[in-house]
Amino acid sequence: MAAWIPAIGSRIRRALAGRAGGKRGSPDRAKKMPQNGPTGVAAPLAMVAPALVLIPVLLLLPGLVHGGGIDLLKAFLQAAFTPSLDPLVLGSAISGLGVTVGIALLGWAASGLLGLALALASSRQVWSSCCGQVWPANLLRRLLAVPRSIHELLWGLLLLQLIGLQPAVAIAAIAIPYAALVARVLSDQIDALPSGALAALRCGGVAAPQALLTALGPPLLPGLLSYGGYRLECALRSATLLGVFGLGGLGTELKLCLQSLEFHQLWTGLWLLLAVMLLLETGLAGLRRRWLMPRRLGLGGLTTTPLGPESGAGTRGMGPTPRRDDLGRRGREMVLALVVLGPLLVWLARAMDVHPLALLHWQPLPNLDAASWASILALPWPQLVGSTLLLTLVAAGLAVGLAPLLLLLIAPWPWARPLLQLAWALARLWPPPLSALLLLLLLKPGLVTAALALGFHNLGILGRLLLEASDDRQAPAEIALLGAGVGPRLALLYGRFSGLARSYLAYGAYRADVILRESVVVGLVGAAGLGTQLLESLSSFAWDQLLALLVVYALLTLVGEDLSDRARLQLLAPA
Amino acid sequence: MPAAPAREPGQPSPGSGVSPQALPWLELSEITVPGRGRPRLDRVSLAIASGERVALLGPSGAGKSSLLAVANGQLQPSAGSLRWLGAPPARSERARRRQQARIGTLWQDLRLIEELSVQQNLNSARLAAWGWPRALLNLLWPLDTAANRESLAQVDLGAELLGQPVSALSGGQRQRVAIARLLRQDPELLLADEPLASLDPRLAAELLHLLLNQVTPRRALLLSLHRPDLLAGFDRAIGLRQGQVLFDQPARSLAAADLAALYDGELPGSGP
Repeated sequence: MAAWIPAIGSRIRRALAGRAGGKRGSPDRAKKMPQNGPTGVAAPLAMVAPALVLIPVLLLLPGLVHGGGIDLLKAFLQAAFTPSLDPLVLGSAISGLGVTVGIALLGWAASGLLGLALALASSRQVWSSCCGQVWPANLLRRLLAVPRSIHELLWGLLLLQLIGLQPAVAIAAIAIPYAALVARVLSDQIDALPSGALAALRCGGVAAPQALLTALGPPLLPGLLSYGGYRLECALRSATLLGVFGLGGLGTELKLCLQSLEFHQLWTGLWLLLAVMLLLETGLAGLRRRWLMPRRLGLGGLTTTPLGPESGAGTRGMGPTPRRDDLGRRGREMVLALVVLGPLLVWLARAMDVHPLALLHWQPLPNLDAASWASILALPWPQLVGSTLLLTLVAAGLAVGLAPLLLLLIAPWPWARPLLQLAWALARLWPPPLSALLLLLLLKPGLVTAALALGFHNLGILGRLLLEASDDRQAPAEIALLGAGVGPRLALLYGRFSGLARSYLAYGAYRADVILRESVVVGLVGAAGLGTQLLESLSSFAWDQLLALLVVYALLTLVGEDLSDRARLQLLAPA
Repeated sequence: MPAAPAREPGQPSPGSGVSPQALPWLELSEITVPGRGRPRLDRVSLAIASGERVALLGPSGAGKSSLLAVANGQLQPSAGSLRWLGAPPARSERARRRQQARIGTLWQDLRLIEELSVQQNLNSARLAAWGWPRALLNLLWPLDTAANRESLAQVDLGAELLGQPVSALSGGQRQRVAIARLLRQDPELLLADEPLASLDPRLAAELLHLLLNQVTPRRALLLSLHRPDLLAGFDRAIGLRQGQVLFDQPARSLAAADLAALYDGELPGSGP
């Protein structure tokens, strides 16, 4: 799913590092990309074009508003400035946050270990170097697509039904899909590494494991750690989300506060969560700089030239070239971090009363019979699939199109950037089902409400990426336009978005794939396709329906993943 | 090469030798830009009148780029004053942009927008004057084809290039498109920061010829150069050394000794 990550970071960096500098493209590219004329949409416009979904959404919105919610919404917004500081509230928020962070850390660590093992097991290079065969790698790759295609929330709810409420359930729910994801990203990276060094070692009679470790370990490490950090951020978001659906931690508290309209208490938890999230992000960014790892989402030139000149030397944030003693220091610090992390995780698992063995005690499942098939066929499948796809499209359009549009809007006001940054941070950590519930105060349940909630969350993620990409120094073409008296907005649109468009849209394609998978989390606002039906079938213990829905959902996300991969490849095709 | 309107380069221009009544197109007085150790520009004063073609000479690190950056408003000097076309830099953002639109810069790296077509790039020079509707339409539809064709013809390029993405052009074509874009901007003050630096001798000579030809009685050119052998078409040469003006005189009267002092000798009267 995230094989794109290597490409996009370096693309964005290259775009910013000033591609204008005398690059001469090939005539091939001219053929591939019709640039002008009535049908061709030029790069910068393509970037904001997805925001066109705003038009139907805005047209539909007045009909969806129901009275009465405005006062509640006002109270909610006002409460942001006066969170409850009651020691009791604070105490329970902090302990809830502790559980959420614990779940995130343990789920992340488990997915990392499992993912690393699966990555090695599904890497063609490893198999061909060990046994001369690659088909087991290909087979495992295909199989891993299944756990990956099911969202962690679905895993959580499924395991909850099968096993009962256990701390291990939430951890497993994160670990299973994440491990499959990590396995794909890492195995892609291992296979993209040049095989020369490995072949040379094997030729010299070195045993396969040692040869693999020596030849592939060092070039893989920076990308591995950088990606690991990014997964930790994701795990914290997932753990919060699982809480909203009753799997414990701060999410549960937030949902209860929202449902009982205790906005002041809600914001206590929310600000705490925001603080932890920002702390984590800045901490990881600091580590990345210290250990000279590629930037977030910039796993790097790893697939092409590990930390080579192309992977962004010369751009800000990469730091200086490592000196000899720096490298030693980095290794020592990494070992130290591992030594601290191990016991910490064990202690956490004990403190949270996690029993991995509990995962093996399943409750018996009813068998499928003729009546089950009837109830499965009775579901309105075309409508369910159709509204899921529509929800995905609208949410993706909102998220992908609004991020650049808002950046354009604030371009003349530098002081508005930190505000936007804060808004994106809030959108990122605010679980979509909570925004859906919040929107229900104002809007009727339905697809648009669900799409707004999902779009807002993903807007936070896309917006941050875009802000990061444009945090670097201005693109030369933009400076040139500003120097010729062009206003800041048009200079941004023409001078910077032109270079960013392809990589940004490629990221948008990836995000649309994620949104499709995530559409289940806003199912609770109703009329939102498969997600809504899934949650209903789950709560009425209709196992037959649930199973069928899961299969269809998984198929749909697999097709979506394939389409999004293709779009990405097309967009990132070398110029 | 068919020359654009104007006169042949090398001829004395009507505005050369700044006459007292004519407003200088660019006027720097006592400009200072701090740097590490010694200032990048040290109390530099100069004036360029309309119709003048001025070469800025000096060794690397002499402050040529800083001077041009001050001249096009990119760099704020720590002291001294600057006047464009007789007026100081405007306080209000809108008026400032109107001023900037009258200054055209030819960047060493050209700064074309790779992802857009030649036509869209040429039109991007009009963005300062256009509102949003035209700016957006330009990304969807070929606009102002006649004007673009004309400016391409002035740099000896054919109209068939209009629909091409600039990334598909050759190096020489890119240089010409960048000049054509300047023509579309129609600036009164033309600034160029070492535009010939990375070009082979033939291309450099052609490009210089094109640039010199763009100078009309209502347009002035200031071009930084590190090759004194290309001075032929200029009216004036200004020598910059260690952030200070070493000489400012007609290009024809420039003696070998001046150049020797610029590139080798010590600045007279300056302490260590």
